[in-house]
Amino acid sequence: MRGHLIHTIFFTAVIMAVVLVAICLTETVPDAGGKPHPDYSGLQIGGDGAARLEHIGLLSFSFQCLLLIQITLLSTLGVPERYRTTELLSYMGGSLVLMLLVAWKMFFGHQAFLATQETDYFFGFPDATAWQTYGTWLSAIPLVLIYSLGFNKFIFSLEDEKKFNALLAEKNKNNR
Amino acid sequence: MRRTHDTSDFFIASRGLGPIVVSLALFSSTLSGFGFVGGPGLVYSIGVSSFWMVIISSTGYAVCFFLVSKRIRMIAELRDCISLPDIVAARYGSEAVRFMLAVTIVLGVMGYLATQILAMAVVMQAILSGTEMFADVGLVTCVAISSAVLIFYCVTGGIIASVYTDVVQGTIMIVAGALILIAATNVFDGGMQEATSIILADDAETVMPYGAAGIMSSLGWFFVFGLGLAGQPHIITKMMMNKDLRDNRSMLPLSLFGYAMAALLWVSIGIVMRAAVLDGRVEPLALPDDAASVFLSMFTNPLLAGIVFAGLFAAIMSTSDAFLNIGTAAIIHDIPKAIQGKSIKNDLFWARIVTVLLALVAASFALYSHFQDATLVALLGAFGWGTFAASIFPVVAVGLNWKGASVWGAVTAITVSLIINFVSQLAGYTFPYGVSGQLVAFVCSMVLFIGVSLISPKPSLASDIDRVLDI
Repeated sequence: MRGHLIHTIFFTAVIMAVVLVAICLTETVPDAGGKPHPDYSGLQIGGDGAARLEHIGLLSFSFQCLLLIQITLLSTLGVPERYRTTELLSYMGGSLVLMLLVAWKMFFGHQAFLATQETDYFFGFPDATAWQTYGTWLSAIPLVLIYSLGFNKFIFSLEDEKKFNALLAEKNKNNR
Repeated sequence: MRRTHDTSDFFIASRGLGPIVVSLALFSSTLSGFGFVGGPGLVYSIGVSSFWMVIISSTGYAVCFFLVSKRIRMIAELRDCISLPDIVAARYGSEAVRFMLAVTIVLGVMGYLATQILAMAVVMQAILSGTEMFADVGLVTCVAISSAVLIFYCVTGGIIASVYTDVVQGTIMIVAGALILIAATNVFDGGMQEATSIILADDAETVMPYGAAGIMSSLGWFFVFGLGLAGQPHIITKMMMNKDLRDNRSMLPLSLFGYAMAALLWVSIGIVMRAAVLDGRVEPLALPDDAASVFLSMFTNPLLAGIVFAGLFAAIMSTSDAFLNIGTAAIIHDIPKAIQGKSIKNDLFWARIVTVLLALVAASFALYSHFQDATLVALLGAFGWGTFAASIFPVVAVGLNWKGASVWGAVTAITVSLIINFVSQLAGYTFPYGVSGQLVAFVCSMVLFIGVSLISPKPSLASDIDRVLDI
């Protein structure tokens, strides 16, 4: 994968496009994108959640998972090829697993609510929404840590700095 | 003005800024006036759907730093670049790509700028109407005053003025975000849980993960606002301004921390105001965008409200300055360079003249839109972020990390994303299930950029750029 990362990114983008087309071609349901609140102007409501997800639920969830995979692949593309070591790939893989887990808990937590109309709360929000609000934000923190803590190792090493300074010195010499 | 001697000072602060300043500038440019007004209004109107624009910030910033921050800073220093089109011209060795990117920036900037000027005038009118002396002041007068202040500020200070206003705005937003969250949780005895329970009892979907707007609208925002962050010229241009490349290491967590604190304001006000209206504590709002101002006047003390309004003005000023700056660079530097091979003479002088003209055109455009065609500015404002995301992300973020990216790939991606965004916005075409034209444009642009590059002849890179892409 290391040498063919761009092909994997391309392949993922193509599958995302196919899923998007499939969603657009699926049988539509009324007010899938929300409708005005019957009593308050300016407010929108979602209405029947189960009906809105009936035809596109799994396709949409697949799109979300593909997006998370693409985010991880693109982050890896930002690391020079020689630093895409097993260590880096395992960090990136771990980060992806965490993001997918949060997406899973959110999506199927919502499905469970639709089936039972009951939910617990976590820090002010229904469980599924708490996974979305806190979980989605926190699940990308490993990517931030890989970048910041691994900066000298994976992003811009001392050797890289020397190479860049040499390049600048050449430029300045040529400009003189 | 004393610190602005040439176009490098005017457009990129001569790459002399420290990590804290750049971090604050990065996150406050991302939120702008929309974070204070539009964000809470969206949560009030469509519920949790709009959370997606905020909660993807950790992903968006991470991708942006991984893909853009290092190489854009290196190429800027190596080639003395002062604008984003300069960077792509150096990367692709193509004036055609420079020209197309510059035109895209000018188109996107006009909508954004008109929106900001109009927002500043509306807020100014609302504040002045509460005083005896200026109670009857009209919107045209407020637009004129706003534009005059903006022009003075931008012409004299260039990007340095924008960055330092960002610092003020960013600091205010961090403090205000924390204080507003405390105020919001005290509106209901049961805190935020009582507020969300009230909303859930009225319409459960509104407070479920995909909100009233549904799953595909939400995922569209995840895509366009998450990945698209790395395609916003007013944000990534700031990644060319730091003094030391190694500052990127601390800039990522600092920016993200600032954004997360400020976003508390966005999330908490909208939820509490919707619950308060449903619960009968507050009269229904005339407009969703009134959510923040009504919350501040009803549930916070005047000092905090004053601080937030000061932050709002700082936000609008700095964002307008940043847009004026990149728009001016495109007009006086990039488009002439793409056509005649060099930027115009006396560029600092002309930068100031064009800044004035751009502000005047945008102000007229804002007024025309307000009085004649209310949809025009909103259309172009929405067009801006999506177009930047779809056309600039592949060309810049992917192109700076893949030697195989070709001129044909870049030209195709920009052209297709412009066409899809224009057609879907202007024709008002809607896709099923709330799929947005911006999402379709972005996905098509990614596929075509890589696909066309893969089948194009292998591009030959300038030797220095080739070496930068190896680092």
